[in-house]
Amino acid sequence: MSGDAAGLYVHVPFCLTRCGYCDFNTYAGLDHLAGRYVRALAGEAALAGPSWAGVSFVSIFLGGGTPTMLSSRALGELIGELRGRFDVTASAEVTTEANPDTVDTPSLAALREGGVTRLSMGAQSFDPTVLAALERIHSPQAARRAFAAARAAGFDNVNLDLIYGAHGETLESWERTLREAAAMRPEHLSCYALTVEPATALGRKVAAGRIPPTDPDVQAEMYDLACSVLRQEGYRHYEVSNWARPGFECLHNLGYWEGRPYLGLGAGAHSYRDGRRWWNVRPPQQYLEEVESGRLPLGGGEVLTDDERRMERLLLGLRVAEGVPVEWIDGRQGEEFVEQGLAEVRAGRLTPTDRGMLLANDLVLALAEP
Amino acid sequence: MDQSLVRNFCIVAHIDHGKSTLADRILDLTHAVAARQMREQYLDRMDLERERGITIKAQAVRLRYHPPGAPDEYELNLIDTPGHVDFTYEVSRSLAACEGAILLVDAAQGIEAQTLANFHLARDAGLTIVPVVNKIDLPAADADETARELAELVDRRPEDVLRVSAKSGQGVEELLGAVIERVPPPRGRLDAPLRALIFDSSYDTYRGVVAYIRVVDGGIAGRSRIRLMSNGVVSESEEVGAFAPDATPLPKLEAGDVGYLVIGVKDVRLAKVGDTVTSAEKGARDPLPGYREPKPMVWSGLYPAEGGDYSLLRDALDRLKLSDAALAYEPESSLALGFGFRCGFLGLLHMDIVKERLEREFGLELIATAPNVEFRVVRGDSEMVEVHNPSEMPPPGTYDRVEEPFVLATVVTPSAYLGPVMELCQSRRGTLVDMKYLAPERAEIHYLLPLAEIIFDFFDQLKSRTRGYASLDYDHWGYEESSLVRVDILLQGEPVDAFSSVVHREKAYQYGKQMVERLRELIPRQLFEVAIQAAIGSRIVARETVRAKRKDVLAKCYGGDITRKRKLLEKQKEGKRRMRRVGRVDVPQEAFIAALRVETTPAGTSGGRK
Repeated sequence: MSGDAAGLYVHVPFCLTRCGYCDFNTYAGLDHLAGRYVRALAGEAALAGPSWAGVSFVSIFLGGGTPTMLSSRALGELIGELRGRFDVTASAEVTTEANPDTVDTPSLAALREGGVTRLSMGAQSFDPTVLAALERIHSPQAARRAFAAARAAGFDNVNLDLIYGAHGETLESWERTLREAAAMRPEHLSCYALTVEPATALGRKVAAGRIPPTDPDVQAEMYDLACSVLRQEGYRHYEVSNWARPGFECLHNLGYWEGRPYLGLGAGAHSYRDGRRWWNVRPPQQYLEEVESGRLPLGGGEVLTDDERRMERLLLGLRVAEGVPVEWIDGRQGEEFVEQGLAEVRAGRLTPTDRGMLLANDLVLALAEP
Repeated sequence: MDQSLVRNFCIVAHIDHGKSTLADRILDLTHAVAARQMREQYLDRMDLERERGITIKAQAVRLRYHPPGAPDEYELNLIDTPGHVDFTYEVSRSLAACEGAILLVDAAQGIEAQTLANFHLARDAGLTIVPVVNKIDLPAADADETARELAELVDRRPEDVLRVSAKSGQGVEELLGAVIERVPPPRGRLDAPLRALIFDSSYDTYRGVVAYIRVVDGGIAGRSRIRLMSNGVVSESEEVGAFAPDATPLPKLEAGDVGYLVIGVKDVRLAKVGDTVTSAEKGARDPLPGYREPKPMVWSGLYPAEGGDYSLLRDALDRLKLSDAALAYEPESSLALGFGFRCGFLGLLHMDIVKERLEREFGLELIATAPNVEFRVVRGDSEMVEVHNPSEMPPPGTYDRVEEPFVLATVVTPSAYLGPVMELCQSRRGTLVDMKYLAPERAEIHYLLPLAEIIFDFFDQLKSRTRGYASLDYDHWGYEESSLVRVDILLQGEPVDAFSSVVHREKAYQYGKQMVERLRELIPRQLFEVAIQAAIGSRIVARETVRAKRKDVLAKCYGGDITRKRKLLEKQKEGKRRMRRVGRVDVPQEAFIAALRVETTPAGTSGGRK
């Protein structure tokens, strides 16, 4: 683990519409702030830059929200700005998230031109009823079209995001979505079990009894299906919700799980370095005011205790296929996991099995016992 | 005072028939309490008594009353007795301190089971009964009919039954006149050696045990050397006096008097209800009759919810014991619940009260195992073991027989509900002993029932099958042989001692099935499949399975999610710390509490026609 190989995250809090399940820091109808917001990001980079001098950044990740709500030119200029303020390696992985409805071949080509090397597209499902349940406004065709456009624009590292376990989705429908996604041959696939967050439209519907809550057993079935279908298709399962062709793992996200430092820019973005975590104010308006007044838009922070660091290292380490060094854990407990088929011991590391990854919370709790 | 001007009496009644209200009116009429200090249920001093509307501890209050037109002033000692079947023995001792009893019946309710039980107790104690119909001003009152029933019960003419409204005070003056006229004065021998009956006691942090006494023979001065006849303990008493209604020291108490005695001992167990106090030198030869050691009838394990509170619980029990001679406890440990105490109680109400006092007065959070009766395991002709904890019940085949306590239950019910009542008693292994009609529409039935069948939901069932009209009372009968077996509950093959129960063979399957079904709902899914089984010996009679958990992980965990996720896990970790581990299975404390919860109302805590 190279301690200095940092990641740079940029948060873009704009969306065309809010999806019912989403609890991210993102807003529909704030597009008019876009210009000011991009300038503020550059401003924040200028304020934060000096304290990150000497740290080498191996990835940039533009997330949201919907970064592609901003023009490709603006995004390209932003990437250039960041490269000027920070020591970003020449071969850095530069990802942007993209919504199928906000991109076409010219805009994607412009992104590539602007320095984006990796595209992460929110396809979510290829079943129209599931897309409707998720309140996604795009059609399955839009995702196919956007994917083809990415290829046409020259992207050779593309991720598709999928969500499973929404109300009404059957195992058969999920399998069709999986097979269709795999048939498109993306380099990377993220498959997320739908999580019902209380403070969302979906959460309120579930609380009111209008939609049944997600069934963890059904989601586990779907997860098993993803593991087997994607293995057949040549993808490696390297994190709870992530699969990639060898060599195409997301360098930026691996940084989070490996405990490498990261700097977050933008409203509500989180940063981490040397056992300290801090975050920016969440409301975009407040973020703009802070940065425009020349202040770092700090919202809060914490310094992790040794126990908390240990807990984090375990909870992150047991999410990934690489697992954790056996020295970190109580050997007897590890053996018990091996017996139960939840983990394996390989090359001095305890590595979770597919089944174990889906129970990572329990593994951590058992290992974190005093 | 001249004994001929003393009257010692009590009021006995079914719950809610107005005993405390009548006592309040008598206090008013005799100007015992200044008007501004008067409050409802004056003699019930414990918060618990006032909240529940019941009397737990006896009180004795001395009143001065000059009947209109009479030449002399009288000293009236009113003894307020507990009114619950758990305290039958205490009630019998209070009655033994009196010459007369007001038998009070609600005109709208009529005679109830506790009316009968109290009447029999008072008659057996040789008391003069003054029958009174109360609440005659209620719209639903049927005073004539109630007076007729009551007259028949006490074998007097209906005209002899007094009619009062304790609420308004109507008829209470006449009632006091009748008490003076009908209740005989005490006839103690002043020159005989001292004999005083302890009919209750309280504990005072500074003065130690305060015994409530009735002097039967002789007299006692404030400071004297006394001897307790049951255990031979000799002590220097510190004070005598009477409650008027507050404690008022007196130079002496004489034959016929009721009052208090500060014994000069610090442990209430040394001065038990029913014991006789005499002089240390030249004392009486024979104690007063009727003394009995307090005998716990119902047992339950009490465990601190926080294991670290064990010594706190021990101290609390030690303290409580000072003022509750009937409470028994012995340390025990449970694989599932840790260290605690097996506690013996007079009955379920007593158990409820003790548990509530421990929680309220000592700030403890407790887990109570399901209450059980005491079993006697008999081997051969001579060997008998008392079992207080089901998990100590020896395996089948290692003994000759098991005995369990039985009670003789009295149920009073409208005749229309006789069928359902008998069905209920029958289903609880009851044997019909006797049945008679109090009136064409009201019947009184007597059943012999195992105590174990009464202590759970019998009273609730009785109420629901009779729309609340039936009432219940019972007397301990003795031990009888029964076909009993121990049912164990196993998690992953490991027995959970706290869930073991001794039940009748015919009900063992039902109990086991119900328990494993309940636990299946309460035990969270684990990383492996959990088998929950009920077993009699090595035979499995019921099984449920908690399926293995398959998913417990956040789908996404990037940047800011990490803090949130760690905090969630820390919470989960805290929850896990509060779990009890049985073998490999984590069982939340809430599961123990819920699985052991007894859905029941102690018999006799509320009743009557609704």
